[in-house]
Amino acid sequence: MKLLTHNMLTSHVKGVTKGYPLIIKATEVKVNELEFNAQFVSRMIPKLEWNALIQAAEWLGRSQDLPSTLIPNYENDEEFLHKVHRILLEVEVIEGCLQCPESGREFPISKGVPNMLLIEDE
Amino acid sequence: IVGCIRIHFLYCSVSGAHIMQELDEAVTIGATVPTGFEHTAAEEVQEKLEATARVSKNRGRIYFDITTDTLFKVHQLKSLDNLFVVVKDYDDYQFKTTKEEVQLDWQELAAKLPWTNALEVWKLNNSIKKRKGRRKRTNPTKSDQCGNFSTKSTDTVPSDPEELWVDLESLEVKENQRDVSSQPEDDSEEEKHSEIQDQESGVTPLKFRVTCNRAGDKHCFTSNDAARDFGGAVQEFFQWKADMTKFDVEVLLNIHNNEVVVGLALTVESLHRRNISHFGPTTLRSTLAYGMLRLCKPQVSDVIVDPMCGTGAIPLEGVMEWQNSFFLAGDNSGTAVSRSVNNIKHILKRTHDGGSSSGLPLDIVQWDLCNLPMRSSSVDIIITDMPFGKRMGSKKKNWELYPLCLREMARVCKPGTGKAVLLTQDKKCFLKALSQMEGLWRKSHTVWVNVGGLHAGVFVLKRTAVGHQDGNPGAY
Repeated sequence: MKLLTHNMLTSHVKGVTKGYPLIIKATEVKVNELEFNAQFVSRMIPKLEWNALIQAAEWLGRSQDLPSTLIPNYENDEEFLHKVHRILLEVEVIEGCLQCPESGREFPISKGVPNMLLIEDE
Repeated sequence: IVGCIRIHFLYCSVSGAHIMQELDEAVTIGATVPTGFEHTAAEEVQEKLEATARVSKNRGRIYFDITTDTLFKVHQLKSLDNLFVVVKDYDDYQFKTTKEEVQLDWQELAAKLPWTNALEVWKLNNSIKKRKGRRKRTNPTKSDQCGNFSTKSTDTVPSDPEELWVDLESLEVKENQRDVSSQPEDDSEEEKHSEIQDQESGVTPLKFRVTCNRAGDKHCFTSNDAARDFGGAVQEFFQWKADMTKFDVEVLLNIHNNEVVVGLALTVESLHRRNISHFGPTTLRSTLAYGMLRLCKPQVSDVIVDPMCGTGAIPLEGVMEWQNSFFLAGDNSGTAVSRSVNNIKHILKRTHDGGSSSGLPLDIVQWDLCNLPMRSSSVDIIITDMPFGKRMGSKKKNWELYPLCLREMARVCKPGTGKAVLLTQDKKCFLKALSQMEGLWRKSHTVWVNVGGLHAGVFVLKRTAVGHQDGNPGAY
């Protein structure tokens, strides 16, 4: 699971209103190279919940001095874009779980795939 | 000259021990494409070959001119099912009114067609196919053809995610499946066949068959008649041997009212694929997945979700062509998910073997599509093949599920800019569900396609600016 995906995932346990972002508890993380595209990164940034991304990076111990608020003119900062690219697309949680911040319900991640299925009465 | 052609091609072996002359001449290539996707295919041809494609009146076919040095590129196109080189085409062929006269006409025709160039292209094509070796695509097409064969599939060597699944998994057949069912190694069969030819090179005449597709109500003959009679004429002319299964040359005779196109197949039929129709609606052809993806017009940084991905046909096809978008594939079935994972691994391994070390902008999640664990308005494009069958494992029917799905998709899709491209065979149910969506979706257009012999629709929807009701995240 890449952090770009994590940024879009939310808890949907019944009744939960503050199910985002899901807490990442990783037991295995891999870094897999992915071709960099500056345009992709700079266009993706405004679509992200930036705070959630910073939070996720912290949970993985990879804050990488990413700023907690976006700098102006980030589109032209190649070094910054590379950092964002890395954390969004190259750091992958292979094993672990995602935890709903409100209900505590844990969703396992196995072989890079989170299982978000709820049982019937959840 | 006629005698020369005969002898030249009588003993020509498939191995191409022959030195191939690069003609660099213009040739006309014909291609079959999923019906309804002629224009997206023409777009791809324009984009990648810079050739203008003509869409035939005979649906599901396009024609374009290339020079032979770009023939290998044609094989890399993703919209095309089967390829052939045009020997000649007539747009106003006058058929006689009795079978005997028509038969005589075929004989005359076979003798005077300009076979040479097309046969040279056919030979060149063989050497291209041998060189490729890695990838493979099979695309069973259904009969709106009244030809000799009700299903055709290609046996070229381009890549198709569907094929990989077969390589990896043991053959599993399900009803309403979207997985590929049985498939022996085409490559090895083809190689063996060529080897045999090699050994006997110079001594064995070419083997051929004629496949005829006929449409129109003014013909006094059937496609079988035409195939047989034209086949007889071809046999007499070339002194080739007719062989329905182990042929070297497949002569195509396409008759659509007064349009007649004679061609030579450049992609080979995989005969065992014919049985796939027994298993219900077929797997989603990669050409169809590709056509659907083109309809989305993926942009840089688009988030593209397939919420019922099965074994991943659509997202995998997508991620290989549009590497500047991000694909998220989900399914509720653990089996589907693990197959998708394996398919990705397989593709990654292949690209790594090819020298690239890059991963893919794709993730897989196991989820319930009626209750997506995703932030509202986070998705640019939703694209999926919507079969709801026994696979779901619950008693809910389409008429309950479709509205739930459409609502949930509307929630996650960006209002105003988002779109959905949805393939379904249950058109009635789909349209009804759509009408209940209170203006969340607007129909942009519909492409009618043929999937496994059944009429299906690819509905292209635009997400309107109407906000979804925030209320009960669980319900939708």
